[in-house]
Amino acid sequence: MRLHRLFPGIVAATLAACTSTSTTTPGGGGVTPYTVAVFNGNLQSSLAGAALVTPLTVVVTDVNGATVTGAQVSWTVARGGGSVSPTSSTTAANGRASTIFTLGSIVGTQTVSATTASAPAGVTFSATAASSGPVSAPLLIASVPTPTGATYDHDTFVRDGLAFAFMWNAGLRIYDVGNGVNGGSPATPILVGSLITNTNGVPGGAQVHNGWWFHNPVTGQNKYLFIGQEGSCGAIGSCSIGDIHIVDVSNLAAPVEVGFIHIAGAGVHNFWMDEANQTLYAAYYNAGVVKIDVSGTLSGDMSSRITKQVQPGGPGNTYIWGVMLSNGTLYATDMLSGFWALDPATLATKGGGNNVPERYGSDQWVYGQYAYSGSWGNRGVRGNAVKIWALDGSGVPTLADSIVVPNVTTISDVAVTPDGKMLVITTEGGPGQGLYVYSLANPVKPTLAGSSITSQGLHTGEVAVINGRTYVFAARDPGVPEMDIFDITGLVP
Amino acid sequence: MTRRAVATLLFAVTLGGGAVALPAQSGFGVTPMAQGILVVDHSGAIPGGGGLTETRLVQPVLMAVAHGFGNKLGFIATLDFEGATMKGGELTPGAWGEGYVDRRHPHTTVHELNVTANDLLGHLDGAGRLSVTIGKGFVPFGTDDPMSRPFVRYPVNHHLSQLLERAVATLQYDLGPVTVEGALFNGDEPTQPSDGPLVRYEGRWRFGDSWSARATVRPLTGLELQGSIAHVHSPESRPGAGPDADKTSVSARWDAVTPRGERYALVEYARTSELTGFFVYHTFLAEGLASRRRLRASYRFERTERPEELRLFDLFRTQRPSPDNSVLGISRWSLHTLHVAYDVFLRERKLTIQPFIEGTLGSVASVGGGVFDPAALYGTDKVRAFSVGVLVGWGMRGHRMGRYGALAGGMDGMPGMSGMKM
Repeated sequence: MRLHRLFPGIVAATLAACTSTSTTTPGGGGVTPYTVAVFNGNLQSSLAGAALVTPLTVVVTDVNGATVTGAQVSWTVARGGGSVSPTSSTTAANGRASTIFTLGSIVGTQTVSATTASAPAGVTFSATAASSGPVSAPLLIASVPTPTGATYDHDTFVRDGLAFAFMWNAGLRIYDVGNGVNGGSPATPILVGSLITNTNGVPGGAQVHNGWWFHNPVTGQNKYLFIGQEGSCGAIGSCSIGDIHIVDVSNLAAPVEVGFIHIAGAGVHNFWMDEANQTLYAAYYNAGVVKIDVSGTLSGDMSSRITKQVQPGGPGNTYIWGVMLSNGTLYATDMLSGFWALDPATLATKGGGNNVPERYGSDQWVYGQYAYSGSWGNRGVRGNAVKIWALDGSGVPTLADSIVVPNVTTISDVAVTPDGKMLVITTEGGPGQGLYVYSLANPVKPTLAGSSITSQGLHTGEVAVINGRTYVFAARDPGVPEMDIFDITGLVP
Repeated sequence: MTRRAVATLLFAVTLGGGAVALPAQSGFGVTPMAQGILVVDHSGAIPGGGGLTETRLVQPVLMAVAHGFGNKLGFIATLDFEGATMKGGELTPGAWGEGYVDRRHPHTTVHELNVTANDLLGHLDGAGRLSVTIGKGFVPFGTDDPMSRPFVRYPVNHHLSQLLERAVATLQYDLGPVTVEGALFNGDEPTQPSDGPLVRYEGRWRFGDSWSARATVRPLTGLELQGSIAHVHSPESRPGAGPDADKTSVSARWDAVTPRGERYALVEYARTSELTGFFVYHTFLAEGLASRRRLRASYRFERTERPEELRLFDLFRTQRPSPDNSVLGISRWSLHTLHVAYDVFLRERKLTIQPFIEGTLGSVASVGGGVFDPAALYGTDKVRAFSVGVLVGWGMRGHRMGRYGALAGGMDGMPGMSGMKM
């Protein structure tokens, strides 16, 4: 045999050895005793009447354990009164078949059976239907995957029933989650529009990280969405890169980038706005806290709109994660130099700072006379603490207490529900990663009300109230990057 | 040390010892090989401070090298069982890559599986030899795999100086003392021992998104000069959304068998640049070996930089891919390693039992900007590591892992002393 004839066969055999899958096609006489087993989708929970997030999937195998292609699987609601669609499906080449289960109206356990002609006993899926009243634990009601090829979902901004999802190089994606524009709801988000912002020459791409939809009370316009681009140019504490991108969302279905703000040698992280004064505050990592005039028309290079800039910790000791305006004080968390209170007009220090030496800082939230700040990574001590700050009459923080979350490395996001009853945090980097909700009945001594541990960490959690219910829009980490929506209504009465 | 690890070692040795190569006259030949190293590792550079001692079976491999049609066709298959014997990695100060840090990650179970068509043009290209290698294995870049060098503990620079476990197609041309290679491969690294190369992802090709080129020159007997470059697309994000890496490597290698014993030396420099130069890591490494009778002594010095990334709750692990800014700094590891081994040969020198001791002394420092402080993480900036163990191997002596086509050899034709450790 000539070598050139033999070679392709050997290559094919080599590749086949890497990727072979055993399948069997039914037929050939008699009923083969197949086995039907749960592959995915069992033991889910959702609100009564809602479709489950994950399809019910079975895998059919023959007596040798080989997957069966082309087997008909019948799906039947056995308990609870819901519906399945389709009611019959055919196994694919991998032996799997799926259906979508919409729960019935009965609260409690509901079941669906999956059978084949050769396996009439089949297998039963169970699901739990929750009432439309209070939940007893964070309830995952929807998961929105990132687009094909995307790696990250980073953050969400929710307003007026629209969820603006910031999905890194997959860009901005706008979902109707109760606005009505496309008939979506928190349980069934429907895509309205999308945009991948310009890279502005930043290595790594658009890197869409966070945003704020600006409702301008002076003009009455809801025209602009500010998007943060988080690039990387060096080690934490030394360098950052990435611009603020200004997007016109007048047409939600077709957002258009119209301008940007650039600071040489620094990149942006999180935002807060003083909308009444048409002012954007940006956490700008090593550039510190930046104050920007966003009044009037925004177009092109708006870098000249920067009116104030300060490094609270000083050069080399400033890497600002987040900012928040509350009760006339601008608060800033610095990964390096702790929790600061600043004058929002001048950005001068009012108090705080250099007050978390053992941990790197992360996100923050202020509610009433207390503030809550997270921690990140490992500074010799893991970033597993939420610091609780008592604020004096002028807004200056004093450390009052802290919460330590077991088995995590980072408190990645912190928020308080609008009614002030719940402290919501997301965590990453360990077996305890996920969503935690605390009761703020005593705001200086939060108590755990419920949690949802997730296989991947949650990078951020945006709290939003839609049609009277309280939700957390969480960005799940790589592995399964997606926007997970949890219902936490009434978790703390 | 688990029962499974012991069983794997025994299995490896038994299978290796029981196999027989086919006679070369038939035109076909199969050379079975096996290796396993039972080692007690102590590291004094542990995240969180203090020291740690562990026993592991490392580098347990079964290997078959076959040829046919008068060496026109070559085949290599290597199974690596580290996924079973060292799931959590091997204590190795400075090691990093594939989500592990301060531990060397286990390699994938199918470590190599490829075919080579040698001298495709026959006499048409005169004395030249054109060959093609296709399958899973090493990319033609950098130096020999550490598994086939004198030390048990991998150098810090493994991920700067080698590219492996990819689906790779290599075109090689060899003429006299010069060999040039070019390759296409998938950029993504494996994330666990069961991973195969990601040839396609969600409808997009990953195979072919990365390339390398290497030139090897042998000006004198035993002396080999190498220079190579590579562009690797998104090695740490399998979907392809991570930063690219541009790599260069140059090295000089010499080996010889003298009346006084074996001699080997390697000097290499390599550089990896990520995010168009925002992150650059350098490595310099020099190592040598001398043997006399059954005693083998080796020394290695390396100065290697690595990223210091956000660690998970398990401080020996980092998140891959990282969700955003997570590099705390760059550390530089300056390490001296001494390895002494004693050879016991059995079964016509095919079976080697090699007890050894190995020690590493050095330091770690933060370079450039950032917040990484080695003393805060390790409680010290001094590095101390010590290992004692025994290597058991069959037939692997002289094999230079990761070289195919005209650069293969070692078992039969090469002096080969500096191949697999025995």
